[in-house]
Amino acid sequence: MNNRVIATNLAELYKGAAERYGELPAFATRKSSQQWEPVSFRDLYEMGLQLATSLIELGVNYKDHVGLFADNRFEWILADYGVQLSGSADVPRGTDLTDEELIYIVNHAHIKVAFIEDKRLLKRVKSLQKEMPELATLILMEGEVPNEENEPNRKKFQNGEEELNGEEVQNHEKDLNVDKDLGSNGVYSIEELVIRGRELREEGDRRAEQRMEQIRPDDLFTLIYTSGTTGTPKGVMLTHANMISQMQVIPIELNCTDRVLSILPIWHIFERVFEMYTICCGVCTYYTSIRTLGDDMKNVEPTFMGSAPRLWESLHQRILKRIKEAHPMRRLLFHTAYFLSRIYKGSVYFLRDREEKLRPASKMKRALLYPLHMLRWLIVVPWYGFFNVAVLEPIRMSAGGSLKATVSGGGALPEEIDRFFNYIGIPVLEGYGLTETAPVVAARTLDNLVIGTVGPPVPETDIRIIDIDNGAVQYPDPDDRYGGRGRRGEIWVRGPQVMKGYYRDQERTDEALEEEWFRTGDLGMITFNDCLKILGRIKATIVLSSGENLEPEPIEMRLNQSPFIEHSMVVGQDRKYLGVLVVPDLKEFRDHGLEVESLEELANNEQAEKTIRSEIKKIVSPKNGFKSFELIRDFRMLEEGFTAGEELTSLFKMKRHVISEKYSDKIDEIYRPEPAKS
Amino acid sequence: MEFDTQLLFPIDQILLAVMIFLIMFGMGASLTVNDFKTVARYPRGILIGFLSQFGLMPAFAFFLALYLELPPAYAIALILIGCLPGGTTSNMFAYFARGSVALSIAMTTASTLLALIMMPVLLELYTAGFTEQISSEMRAAGADTDFVIPTGNIVSSLALVLVPVALGMVLRARSREWAKTAEDTAGFMAIIVILYLIATAFIRHTGLFLQTPKEIYIAAICVGLLGFLFGYWMSRLFRLSPLFQRAISLETGIQNGPVAFAIILLSFHEPIQSQMLWLAILYSTFIVMTSSFVTLYYRKIGKFDWEVFKNTTIHNRLFGEKYISRYPKGFLPPRIKNDPSQGSNPHQIREQPDKSEHS
Repeated sequence: MNNRVIATNLAELYKGAAERYGELPAFATRKSSQQWEPVSFRDLYEMGLQLATSLIELGVNYKDHVGLFADNRFEWILADYGVQLSGSADVPRGTDLTDEELIYIVNHAHIKVAFIEDKRLLKRVKSLQKEMPELATLILMEGEVPNEENEPNRKKFQNGEEELNGEEVQNHEKDLNVDKDLGSNGVYSIEELVIRGRELREEGDRRAEQRMEQIRPDDLFTLIYTSGTTGTPKGVMLTHANMISQMQVIPIELNCTDRVLSILPIWHIFERVFEMYTICCGVCTYYTSIRTLGDDMKNVEPTFMGSAPRLWESLHQRILKRIKEAHPMRRLLFHTAYFLSRIYKGSVYFLRDREEKLRPASKMKRALLYPLHMLRWLIVVPWYGFFNVAVLEPIRMSAGGSLKATVSGGGALPEEIDRFFNYIGIPVLEGYGLTETAPVVAARTLDNLVIGTVGPPVPETDIRIIDIDNGAVQYPDPDDRYGGRGRRGEIWVRGPQVMKGYYRDQERTDEALEEEWFRTGDLGMITFNDCLKILGRIKATIVLSSGENLEPEPIEMRLNQSPFIEHSMVVGQDRKYLGVLVVPDLKEFRDHGLEVESLEELANNEQAEKTIRSEIKKIVSPKNGFKSFELIRDFRMLEEGFTAGEELTSLFKMKRHVISEKYSDKIDEIYRPEPAKS
Repeated sequence: MEFDTQLLFPIDQILLAVMIFLIMFGMGASLTVNDFKTVARYPRGILIGFLSQFGLMPAFAFFLALYLELPPAYAIALILIGCLPGGTTSNMFAYFARGSVALSIAMTTASTLLALIMMPVLLELYTAGFTEQISSEMRAAGADTDFVIPTGNIVSSLALVLVPVALGMVLRARSREWAKTAEDTAGFMAIIVILYLIATAFIRHTGLFLQTPKEIYIAAICVGLLGFLFGYWMSRLFRLSPLFQRAISLETGIQNGPVAFAIILLSFHEPIQSQMLWLAILYSTFIVMTSSFVTLYYRKIGKFDWEVFKNTTIHNRLFGEKYISRYPKGFLPPRIKNDPSQGSNPHQIREQPDKSEHS
């Protein structure tokens, strides 16, 4: 841990990184495949101070909330530096946010100053500004401010670019006073703010440093609004202490010689914590995109990468496809290598006690198997060594060849893909966390890599498993022979990473926080080798494999309004798209003259299927305000209705985990790949 | 010990010849004219590599033969192995040992060409005493000629071996894709042939493994190990970068086995041919194992240097040749402090490291 920068807040962390790592590159932006532009830790910090000074000049106060509406790019991190160094907190969202969300967030968080990614978003924000009366200042991150905007401001800042002498300084101050009056409609470019800040600092302005002194660990560094279609977005309040604690407990060792490729949306806490951590360790982050990922992997040769399950899925697909197209000889070699690696790793996992242990293991059995695995390991090791070098290394080269490990987060990684990467020699460190826990709660490490689990909880973090029905503590349970291991229930978390609460929403804060414990809404258990295993969700929120969060209830409510649909349950957790299980309304179909006697018959009726399909298509459409990832691709009709006590609670709410379990094959059917179309 | 049965049947000899051809062709297919140019880029590394390959190795082989009091045929075979140029296998091992692959390739290229001159000279120098012994033994057995090292034959066999290398290079120049396929196929076929030969030798001559005296085993194993050890220390003594140390070490210890087979088959005759072949087979078998272990060890000790080297070269690849990577003070160990690119980029070399490093 000695190579991490120690700090008590992010501003101090940024300063410490600049002092320690100086001219090493902190972030690099792609210009062409072999031409990248680095920005050093020191320059980034200097620019951050300059931007912070300008923000203070623009009236950003200590503890203010600054909007940050942009996707992952260098200017994002620069904006974040500016915000942190000015003692304020940012409210980040990607450019794909809807108008309603934008208006809600800006008004709810009282945002007065916001960074805007590009002209397109700027136009949208401008057109909505009537509904956001407090939002006075916009800062454009890309390109020049369009000429028609704000003539007086442009002129003033153009003055500022010239060299200053004493007289001009006075003029300048005058101008800025004017600016404060005019500021109500101001649009600036991030570039001119940096330049302006530099001038101010050259004149001896040290307000940024004063602000940094003011920051307390308990202050917010960000306010992240989680999406959700039920009700309104929730603003998760995360403090400097939350993020700093993550910097200390993340169980991954990185140093100045590492390279990280960044591809995820930065406003997701998972990518955010990763970029903060790279700053903490002096690692250079290289920005890539889906389009250039393959190329960038070869050129940057990342040593580490964090991504959502979706990316690993597509990489897995790509490797498999190449193997399928390869010469039969090569294919044979690959399968041999993969087989040997599976046997070899299997024995290694056994010998090191790194198998998924859901049941208490018999010591007898283990003692008996131990020598057998020892022997198997000895026999396989030279062959594995040879094939690892000759066959698996070239495959690893397609991912740059230097990956020491990868992190998957933001959703569950399908076990098959998890195994694939671990077997070909790219360890996957799956982790678990939520925005509310800033985010890491548990993570696998290279030493403790138990496939099927998300690893042990990180240091300083306590986990409880709570019975869903009666609220009893299942784990830790000192009275139990195994301390409560192996019992299922809701995961509760306590630790320095747990959020302060939801912003201006005491009701939902109280629901989520039980004293210091945060209720995750996830179902899980502690395995017999002390790793956390995630079993599903109690809360209805669905997280698609692309990382999109959505609430199924509003969709179901709309669907259930159709006379043909009695019940519906939207599914799609960790899948690529949504599907729905439908209990059709028998009576309605009979009234329409369909001669069916039972639900079972109805479920297999073509006419009924057509009707339901067109109903779903009609109801869940972009026209009705659904986003593209909320559209339903496929459905299955159930042959039985839901009954209270079984699938429904006594209040007729659906027990989602019961239904998912009961109809798991129907759900799998929805996602079964269709036979290849020619 | 004597060979009562023939070590290699005609079919084996043909297979061996095919294998030699394939391996040498594959070696050619992996080389470009540019590799010869890189030789000029690392004059110091090449020179020290040359010294350890043609200076240390033959001397070790000679003293080892003397020390172990090997029978003359084995002694000659051991010295022959000591004088061989490096093979392409060493490039692969250098890659996994986190050594300089460029230097390894350059050394292989240079030593293969230089062997045409160096091998006959060195053989003359070191084998004189042993040829005497063989001659007197032969005279005792009733022969009327002296045994001499067939220098001319050796040179022509070496030249012959270079023909497929040249063919491979022509293919590489024509089509990169085809060359890659040829290289891989050749490598894979060669492995199958070697496995076949070892397996058949093992089945047919199980007794041979048992009969072989332990000195021969020691000689076959130690010649490579001594090469690794002294190649490493010599380059360390001359203060080469760690990447170069590892490459030179492996290049010194790993010799081009197929060339040895070719020379023995084409230039030597019974009664000593079988004995020489046997030592070459043992050497080839054991060197794979010893170099695997040495590679694993180097991989471990070289981890940090390698990561710095990688990161620095990638900085130069992406940010421009002239970009200078400045690591925090105290981060780099003294041995690579002045040049984090470890010889791969002249811009990274610092004359006065303490001044250029901002503290």
